[in-house]
Amino acid sequence: MLHTLGLEYCYDNGKKIVFPEIGVQRGQRLLISGFSGCGKTTLLSLIAGALKLQTGDIKFDSYDYSSMSSLLLDRLRADHIGYIFQTLNLIPFLSVSENIALGIRFSQARKSRISNLNQEINRLVAALGLDKEVLNTPVNRLSVGQQQRVAVARALLGKPDLILADEPTSALDSDTTKKFLNEVMEAFDSSKQAIVMVSHDASIAPYFDSVIDLNEHYA
Amino acid sequence: MNTMLSLLLKSMRSRIIPTSLVTISLMASMVLLLSIERIQQGAEKGFNQSISGVDAIIGPRASSLELVLYTVFHLGRPTNNITTKTINDVKLRSDISWLVPIALGDSHRGYRVIATEPNYFKHIRYGNNQPLAFSQGAPFSDFSEATIGSDVAKKLNYTVGSEIQVTHGSIESIGSKHDDFSFKVTGVLNKTGTPIDQAIFLDLKGYELLHLGWKSGKKVFSLNDINFSSLPPDALNPKTVTAAFVGLKSKLTIFNFSKNIREYPEEAISAVIPGIALSELWSIVGLVDKGFQLLSWIIIAISLIAMVTLIIASLDNRKQEMTIYRANGASPKFLAAMVIYESLIIGLMAIIGAIILVTIVTYFATTQLNLALGISPSFEWISIDEIKVFSIILLSGALSSLIPATMVFRKNIHQTLS
Repeated sequence: MLHTLGLEYCYDNGKKIVFPEIGVQRGQRLLISGFSGCGKTTLLSLIAGALKLQTGDIKFDSYDYSSMSSLLLDRLRADHIGYIFQTLNLIPFLSVSENIALGIRFSQARKSRISNLNQEINRLVAALGLDKEVLNTPVNRLSVGQQQRVAVARALLGKPDLILADEPTSALDSDTTKKFLNEVMEAFDSSKQAIVMVSHDASIAPYFDSVIDLNEHYA
Repeated sequence: MNTMLSLLLKSMRSRIIPTSLVTISLMASMVLLLSIERIQQGAEKGFNQSISGVDAIIGPRASSLELVLYTVFHLGRPTNNITTKTINDVKLRSDISWLVPIALGDSHRGYRVIATEPNYFKHIRYGNNQPLAFSQGAPFSDFSEATIGSDVAKKLNYTVGSEIQVTHGSIESIGSKHDDFSFKVTGVLNKTGTPIDQAIFLDLKGYELLHLGWKSGKKVFSLNDINFSSLPPDALNPKTVTAAFVGLKSKLTIFNFSKNIREYPEEAISAVIPGIALSELWSIVGLVDKGFQLLSWIIIAISLIAMVTLIIASLDNRKQEMTIYRANGASPKFLAAMVIYESLIIGLMAIIGAIILVTIVTYFATTQLNLALGISPSFEWISIDEIKVFSIILLSGALSSLIPATMVFRKNIHQTLS
């Protein structure tokens, strides 16, 4: 489904990173691990189409990133990718359900997959182990764990093909991390979706089908 | 579109205090501009209607501005007089409907004295062709009687029956007073908001009487030494007057009339059309308003700069918000449009607020302004000119928000992703 070819990225300060080839199949759960600064977030941004390709190419189903304008890449991201940040995933002036609904606001394709938005939000919230009460709680009163679950719900809404997660567990303690990952892997639909997560925490490897260690690649 | 508006409104609500402060400052500057514009229009209209019902003013040959200044505004001094013979000649013209002569020169405690005939009050009008009306009494009917404007009555505390003495010339000095004769006030005029309020009206005969004992600006004998009954009947008929107001049978003949007057062979006289002379005068007086107008445009520009500054400053705080939109597939165009819409919303709110505020203010201030200054600001919701002004403000607001919009557009999301 997703395939990267000879990706290289050169930063403004001259530092250059050569990424390994990555292939992701539908239903696959891939962990990209490595210490901070090894280019994990850059790789994710490239896959998300948020960063312009410099060298190499990315193919996503029938799409070929190198031949797409940034506008098309924005649409690709809206329709096919759910993105989860490390922290600060939520917009403080929107309610929890509005934050979740943001996942389909920019995509007609994802919107059309949902017949009843409220029902779907409730289902996701329940599947991620969140109390229904959360929907009525102001965003800034949620715990970090709850916030990350809301972010996952947004990324999953409308069943995008690919979930990209950038260190979503880095702010959670190890118990919460376990619970969180359990729930995420439950909620994600392995028949249609794939998940790519980057993390410096190698201990979460058991939750994934495959692991690529960027450190090793360097060495 | 719907998505953007609802997100934008919620985002603006989360920044309600700075946003509303900027809106209020923009609104206040627009209120300033609108009020100045409306007062200016009212003042111009009031100014141009300082005198009404008069088709022409005849006076000694001089610039029309001069003539209007001393006949309508009672400012300055006439350099020459015109003879009564000339006035009588003009009166005989068939195109004239009425003629009211006036003589200027004396004053009473700083207020100008206008010597005229009782039919002055019948023919001279003000504002939108409103006749002069009396709050007390009636016009003078005898040479020993006087009629006063409302400001004179109020400031000097005069009522019907008060006795006044007048001063030769416009400045009171020793020996210049006509202290040998008193006039009795018979009537007080209603407030008009024109120079009439500050005038004292006497009969031309009374004025002539005052000057019987005077030769070249000096008193040579007192009126106390004269026995009025021994005066010949035409002794009090004035020999000269300062000017005359004229009403024509048909306004169409005005240009022909003034040409004829200019060509009057026996004396150098001219006729001015008050409306034309007044608007000429306004083009000088009105410069002050132009200055105020310029000032309020500058204030609006400053408010717009404040708005753009606010938007730029808020972008830093909204980094998270913008990044989340982008990560969920919003294009940079969406974010830039959001910024432009924000400035449009602020501008629109300020405009609506300004219109409501100015309308309320003019509604309540009209009577006050009218009484105090004789200005009636045009009471209306919004004029074509004002719509133009608003469009300019909105447009320049949107244009200046292009600066923050470009900043947002150029920002790559990976800068904020990590």
